[in-house]
Amino acid sequence: MQLAAMTRVREAQVLIRLRAVSKIYETSVGKFAALDNVNLDIHQGECVAVVGKSGSGKTTLINVLTGIDTPSSGELHVAGSAMHELSQEELAVFRGRTIGVVFQFFQLLPTLTVVENVMLPMDFCHTYPPAKRRGRALDLLDRMGIADQASKLPTDLSGGQQQRAAIARALANDPPIVVADEPTGNLDSKTSEEVMRFLAALAVDGKTVLTVTHERDLGRFFTRTITLRDGAVHADHASVTS
Amino acid sequence: MMTVAMAASVCAVTAILAAYSVLTREVSRNYLGTNPASAQLKLDRVDDELVRAVRGRPDIAAAEAGASMLGRIEVGENEWLPVRLFVVPDFETLHINAFRRQSGAWPPPLGSMLIERSALSLTRRRVGQTVTIQTPNGRPHPLAIAGLVHDPGLAPAWQEQAVYAYVTPATLAALGERPDLQLLKIVVSTDPGSVKAIEAASTSLASWLNATGHAVREIRVPPPRMHPHQRQMDAVMIMLSIFSLLALLLGAVLAATIISGLLAQQVRQIAIMKAIGARTRQIVSLYLSLVAAIGAVSVAAGLAFGLLAGRGFVNLVAELLNLDILDYTVPWWILGVSVALGMVAPLAAALVPILIAARKTVRESIDDYGVVRSSRVPGSFGRMMVHIRSGNAAVTLAMRNTVRRRARLIFTLVLLATAGGMFVTSVNLKAAWERNIAAAAAGRHYDAEIQLQKPAPQAEVLDLIRAIPGVRRAEPWSAAAAAVDRGNHLNIYRTYPDGGHGSFALRATAPRSDFVSHEHIEGRWLQPGDTEEIVLNGQARASLFPNAKLGAAISMMVGDRPVRLRLIGIAQEPMTPAAGYTTPEFFANATGQVGLVNAVRIALTKGAAADLVPQQVVQALEGRHMGVKLVLTEKTFGMAQGGHIYVLVVALAFIAAMMALVGILGLASALSTSVIERTREFGVLRAVGARSADVRKIVLTEGLSIGLLSAVVAVPLSVPLSMQVGNVIGSISLQPLSLTLSWGGVGIWFALVLAGSVAASLFPAIRASKLTIRQTLAYV
Repeated sequence: MQLAAMTRVREAQVLIRLRAVSKIYETSVGKFAALDNVNLDIHQGECVAVVGKSGSGKTTLINVLTGIDTPSSGELHVAGSAMHELSQEELAVFRGRTIGVVFQFFQLLPTLTVVENVMLPMDFCHTYPPAKRRGRALDLLDRMGIADQASKLPTDLSGGQQQRAAIARALANDPPIVVADEPTGNLDSKTSEEVMRFLAALAVDGKTVLTVTHERDLGRFFTRTITLRDGAVHADHASVTS
Repeated sequence: MMTVAMAASVCAVTAILAAYSVLTREVSRNYLGTNPASAQLKLDRVDDELVRAVRGRPDIAAAEAGASMLGRIEVGENEWLPVRLFVVPDFETLHINAFRRQSGAWPPPLGSMLIERSALSLTRRRVGQTVTIQTPNGRPHPLAIAGLVHDPGLAPAWQEQAVYAYVTPATLAALGERPDLQLLKIVVSTDPGSVKAIEAASTSLASWLNATGHAVREIRVPPPRMHPHQRQMDAVMIMLSIFSLLALLLGAVLAATIISGLLAQQVRQIAIMKAIGARTRQIVSLYLSLVAAIGAVSVAAGLAFGLLAGRGFVNLVAELLNLDILDYTVPWWILGVSVALGMVAPLAAALVPILIAARKTVRESIDDYGVVRSSRVPGSFGRMMVHIRSGNAAVTLAMRNTVRRRARLIFTLVLLATAGGMFVTSVNLKAAWERNIAAAAAGRHYDAEIQLQKPAPQAEVLDLIRAIPGVRRAEPWSAAAAAVDRGNHLNIYRTYPDGGHGSFALRATAPRSDFVSHEHIEGRWLQPGDTEEIVLNGQARASLFPNAKLGAAISMMVGDRPVRLRLIGIAQEPMTPAAGYTTPEFFANATGQVGLVNAVRIALTKGAAADLVPQQVVQALEGRHMGVKLVLTEKTFGMAQGGHIYVLVVALAFIAAMMALVGILGLASALSTSVIERTREFGVLRAVGARSADVRKIVLTEGLSIGLLSAVVAVPLSVPLSMQVGNVIGSISLQPLSLTLSWGGVGIWFALVLAGSVAASLFPAIRASKLTIRQTLAYV
């Protein structure tokens, strides 16, 4: 299964390409390289784990990939667009349509119901006609197994249910890329497994999934593991998937 | 933003209180500075010997001779205004009803006059130019304007549409009048603020004068120590005091809103401090110090700007009321109130929330996140907001955010709605005054009133006027000065030296006349067959016959004759001096003017020139040697009545502007706090595709929702406020103010509050839209 998956990935197009990407922060004690000359190619359908010690550059890499932060130098191409050349406004629209983001603390908006949270990206990016947005949001929640929670406020849901709702929101605009920043960091082990199973299934369906994680137990869900150290790629190898 | 909002609140309260205290003191100081006469007695002649004798009486503190008469002044070609001529025998020793030299010659040389400074614009001349004057017995005569004086004892000339001039007896003689002085001005020595004491002294003096061969024709006792426009000023003052209390309340609410917002942002920082060992007492001290520091800066800025704004308003009112502000000193208690508002109110408002925040456990505090991630179940209010929906999730989000923090929403709504209620109230009061003016105008179905210097044969006068092209109808409306009969047959009038304020006239009215109509009348109007009946207008009832009942007899003096009439009606007749209306037959018998007329009202044909025809009437009458004392047209009425409410309108606008400022800044402060609180939420929104415009739209929608909601609350709130303030002002000014809801004012407030909401939201919105996702997600 691993070989088949790897063969399939190699044949797929490169969706994310980083060339000599660096991110330098100016601090009071001098310059600090959070990313140092990173070169990476990530293909469609890969389920990638980004690992490393605290301060290794994981979050900066994810931020740069999602357009949350801009590289200080180098080139970054995502889904055919040169992200390093886009303005903040263009990045917002691009991110909304191309990249689904899942946060560690779910970050569902507390005043919106679960289904309204899922509809929000569609409202912002106008990817679906207004009349179809609710139906699509309910479909996504159904896929995540929480359709019956659609009309509740996020605080009425358990942590696992909230994270599933957050994944549904990330998928609202049917983006080719899903980026998750420690999505299981706030969940128990059983719920973590469920959430990772959802994310891995997305990769099988053709989405490219990048996940920052600390948890070695979940390594089996990834097709590739990128290890960062001091802002540089220390290791990049295929994972053993279950 | 918090400091600015607090400073604005302190500024508003300081400005209104400062204006209130300075004006209260200076209005009184200006008027009393003239040493107003307690009473004026009209005799045939007052000479120096008589004045000296009167000064020797124990109940008289001061006495002076003088004279005054009403003439005409030509301000444009064939365009005349009334002129009140004050004759001063000695400008250097003038002590009672004194005025101050402003510019020019003192005393005015023969053939010239001094003009009250507020009247110069009415003459359309400059100092040094000449103007034609005509007195009752003289011919038109040019007089030079030698200079200006300031006479704070008189109502501003532009409000009265009458010119005040000061001449020597020699100049009066040059105008064709006898130079005799007929007025004896006195100041009583005991209790000069008491009407009773003044009347007792005046009556005693009058008896003595009559007994010594000096016939007393009339006694004038105006309300003691009260400026002719004291009621108008009192109305402004009472409004300032009411609204300053409300501003104080709003300021305290704003302080509470701001402080609770400030603490909302600090909850997690408090947790961190506690986690590293800070004790509750240390945290409380720290935040109380912070609040005190914000308060101190607000007080410093607010006091400075408040005093400046108050001074600006005082100057404006002083100009409108023709006052000189000699001292701008603000009492210490006002500074104390402002400091208390800026320092004590925030500390008091902050104490409870600070204690609550400081006593929270570290865990509870850390769980208090911008974006809720705790398992805390929302209360029933939180669940209710799910019912707020729109077709767009972003708009839904904005509208639900509006009600997210219930306490803050209530504070902000109270602040804005109260400000709005007060704004609409101020416009409502203005509308009520204007309605009174409109009602007064609607009740007059004639175009001009021509008052003659002396009674003339009625048939001749009417025939003459009716023959003039443009005159459709002419009716006799004779008038005679009247006074309440005090039982001793001495006429004590309430008239001020200007001859207008405080006056009371008995008027002859044909019962069938349709020249007047009264919307609100108690009892009935005159009818054919009435003989000894009288209808009083509202002003006469309120100021002269407050206890008179319908059907009962009332007694008054007309000239030197006592008359009794049966009261059959009270006509509202707003904005009109005190008057009583009786039949022409009764009037003729009471005044001895049988077959004569001294005032005529005319109605013009359609299209006739409203200015020109009355002038032609005047020319025709004068051609028959019938001198004209006064011409009152709708234009004169409009300008005089409009002028009387102008001060009130300016005061209301000032108060409304202050309230709006506090309200809008309160909203801006609340929104700013809300944006800071939800910093992470905005990061999430941007992460899921929201552009800067989307973020701005969300914050603007929140601001507009709160603004709109407050405006909806403000309108019904303005109704009881308008009624209460209207009652207070109405009772003071003797002009009942019925509830008038100004939809224009409501519209203006809606527009203002919406524009203000956009302005208040703009800064927080731009700030929110400029936050990068990295910044927002890193926000603690």
